[in-house]
Amino acid sequence: MGSGNDSILDMYLYETNTLLEQLDGILLAAEQADTFSEDSVNEIFRIMHTIKGSSAMMEFSSLMTVAHRIEDLFFLVREKGMDVVPEQTRPDLFDMLFQAVDFFRGEIEKVENDEPLSQSIDHIVNKINSLIDKIQGNPTSEEPAEAESAPASETAAPAVGAVNQDYLFGIHVFFDEGSGMENLRAFMLINSVKDYCADFITHPTNVETDPSTSDIIADQGFLVWFRTSEERDNAIHAMNGAGSVREYQPVDAAKTSPAPEAPPAASETKPASPAPAKESPKADAAPAPAAKPAAAPAAGQQHAKESLISVNLSKLDQLMAVVSEIVITESMVTSSPDLKGLRLDNFTKSARDLRKLTDDLQDVSMSLRMVPVSGTFQKMNRIVRDMSKKLGKKAKLTLIGEDTEVDKTIVDSIGDPIMHIVRNSMDHGLEENEADRIAAGKDPVGEVILSARHTGSEVIIEIKDDGQGVDTQAVLNKAIRQGLAAPDHDYSQKEILNFLMMPGFSTNTEVTEYSGRGVGMDVVKKNVADVGGTVSISSEWGKGMTTTLKIPLTMAIMDGMEVSVGESMFTIPINSIHSSLKVSAKDVIHDPAQGEMVKIRDNFYPIIRAKELFCMEQGCDNIEDGILMWVEAGEHSYCLFVDELIGEHQIVVKPLPNYVNGFGVKNFGITGCSILGDGSISIILDVINVYTAAHNIF
Amino acid sequence: MAQIAKSEEVLFAREQETDEYTEPLSEISTEKYLIFSSDSLMYGIRAEQVKDIITDYTITYLPRVPNYVRGVINLRGQIIPVVDIRLRLGKPEHDNFCGIVVDVDGNMVGILVDMVEQMVDVPLDAILPVPTSTSQAMVSGMCTLPDGNTMLELDCELLLHD
Repeated sequence: MGSGNDSILDMYLYETNTLLEQLDGILLAAEQADTFSEDSVNEIFRIMHTIKGSSAMMEFSSLMTVAHRIEDLFFLVREKGMDVVPEQTRPDLFDMLFQAVDFFRGEIEKVENDEPLSQSIDHIVNKINSLIDKIQGNPTSEEPAEAESAPASETAAPAVGAVNQDYLFGIHVFFDEGSGMENLRAFMLINSVKDYCADFITHPTNVETDPSTSDIIADQGFLVWFRTSEERDNAIHAMNGAGSVREYQPVDAAKTSPAPEAPPAASETKPASPAPAKESPKADAAPAPAAKPAAAPAAGQQHAKESLISVNLSKLDQLMAVVSEIVITESMVTSSPDLKGLRLDNFTKSARDLRKLTDDLQDVSMSLRMVPVSGTFQKMNRIVRDMSKKLGKKAKLTLIGEDTEVDKTIVDSIGDPIMHIVRNSMDHGLEENEADRIAAGKDPVGEVILSARHTGSEVIIEIKDDGQGVDTQAVLNKAIRQGLAAPDHDYSQKEILNFLMMPGFSTNTEVTEYSGRGVGMDVVKKNVADVGGTVSISSEWGKGMTTTLKIPLTMAIMDGMEVSVGESMFTIPINSIHSSLKVSAKDVIHDPAQGEMVKIRDNFYPIIRAKELFCMEQGCDNIEDGILMWVEAGEHSYCLFVDELIGEHQIVVKPLPNYVNGFGVKNFGITGCSILGDGSISIILDVINVYTAAHNIF
Repeated sequence: MAQIAKSEEVLFAREQETDEYTEPLSEISTEKYLIFSSDSLMYGIRAEQVKDIITDYTITYLPRVPNYVRGVINLRGQIIPVVDIRLRLGKPEHDNFCGIVVDVDGNMVGILVDMVEQMVDVPLDAILPVPTSTSQAMVSGMCTLPDGNTMLELDCELLLHD
């Protein structure tokens, strides 16, 4: 794996992951309908074929083998129609396919982490084999195949009589049409068969020395005869791995008359006629979207393969950085002090055009990083399915607004939190028994609604279930037991729900496979906070629970309020600002510890002076000269005292240099900086950390 | 020792004299150094580390960092921290603003100095170890320059990480 072919490996991982996601979607839709449409069978066949091919190229043999077997299975289904799978084995088929997808995922993850692949694929291969047997068991046994084969038997029945009475169990192999040098291919096949079994004879013989056998093989196929059927079954594995093998079929020479040999020959000619078995993906691409009702909005984007390219994210970051430089430089040029007082009509006009173009450029480069949340949302389908099976709760997942677009880095980091919340809803949210739901007058099938929508600079993601809701009394009791809450305090509904997001809090007394380990909502909260978002929970007892994630569209650009302290400029994210206010000295309330507070609408809020927190020499000391910024983030709300309010800007966030971060300035609420239009630097404040820093110092 | 004595002779040789040293010269590898002065001492930084020399930039004050980190500057869109070498070495503050931007392990850092002097070629074996380890922190070697001054080789990594 460390072969230096990293870009090929990247491509492989990207491609395989995309295919698996697609496969998941198809399977879920198919399971709902309890059958595969023709299109989805073709699609699965194509996916398996691609995975097989690319895995073989990357030499991931376990992946290749499993994909190959599934391909074989779907080859049968494709040829004979979905009816070939008896009703009672269908659940098995779906389970096996889901298992296979999980297996692929697991292996791909191992590849990503550079771990060795698992070698024990027998259980899954066996499962597939037994399914194939079950499916094949029907038609090959008696009538259907025979009936079909009768008319065809004349056309192509080659002489496949046993050459030697000791070797009665044969395999009849056909190579890809026009593959050329059939004799050498046959020889290679012989070599691989030798790995499984030493005692066999072939027809024609002397393939490696006699090139004239090539035509015979191309014409009539290549026959390998074994002494026992066990030996033959082993050798079939060799056929699976061999190159260019179009078709192979076990033949029994016990009945030496030509008639029984017709069925294999017949079933061979059939696949040959709809020849583009392997070229089918292109042909399939067009009708395929219709086959995926679940992924309908996303289908267009998944299938427009030809117009998509994959780009390394770091290149997009680079582009973004350059574009924001251009935007800043442009405004530095056009508002240059040297131009003051000059009448430059042409310049002004060109500058205006330039302005428009740079704005467009910025929009386009921003949109490059935006991807729809549908990928993340679709994964939840699978989780709901698995959990509803395991827990025996009937549930459906409804997706709303899955084509909402969010910055790629944000999409990546909200996957886990959403999954966690969905699991919580399934595990704790929905009622244990259907009867409880019916008694409460609800639909017996539980519903989890996952929705996403834009509001200005934010994306709001809601995970809503119609389960039993949160028992606030139980939560409060537990919080008291764990020492998180004071027993003799009155808590509001909102405060109690906030306990759910405290580290180590889990209402479930038992640890289940899915939740209850006590690492829960606090991790969700942290992950979401890492991308600059917030989590809030609301719930009504008996009616269900809603978890809302508010996440900024992008981390790279944000709206900020520019404030000044002395000569320094600071940026406060707009979405954490409540309002700004001027107060007079008598409004300020002092506490014994020299802390200052101000009363706004019946609540007291502490005042933090930026000048003192940041040890600055300049800046206002008199509370009446400056301005208070009332900010809120998470559960903290306070007033930051600064000199002046400059104005609102859209700013490009730049990380601080590593060297500076080494001093731990993050702990003082300094998260980054941005370059203003005149080239000066403004420091971006993180409202939560400013509060904790101020708390630790004073 | 003889070797060093000879190389010093090469260093101080006038142009017409250098001819006789051509033979040994080819064996001596030299390295370009940028010489700057700070508090009347001459320091040298390997020229390959130097990315830029800056004057007249506005430094943005950065709170809650050691006093020798004077702040950050905007160098063509890059945010670069600026370290005052006088304060870093515990010397009195001075107002001259002339900065050298160096690249230390991929981190760009500006160093404030009194004056940038010149570029010189220094034979590698002319750089001698510092006799005492404590007296001059962040100096990894010293060397006598053609004009008779002594250059202290600045160890940029020590400058950044204690």
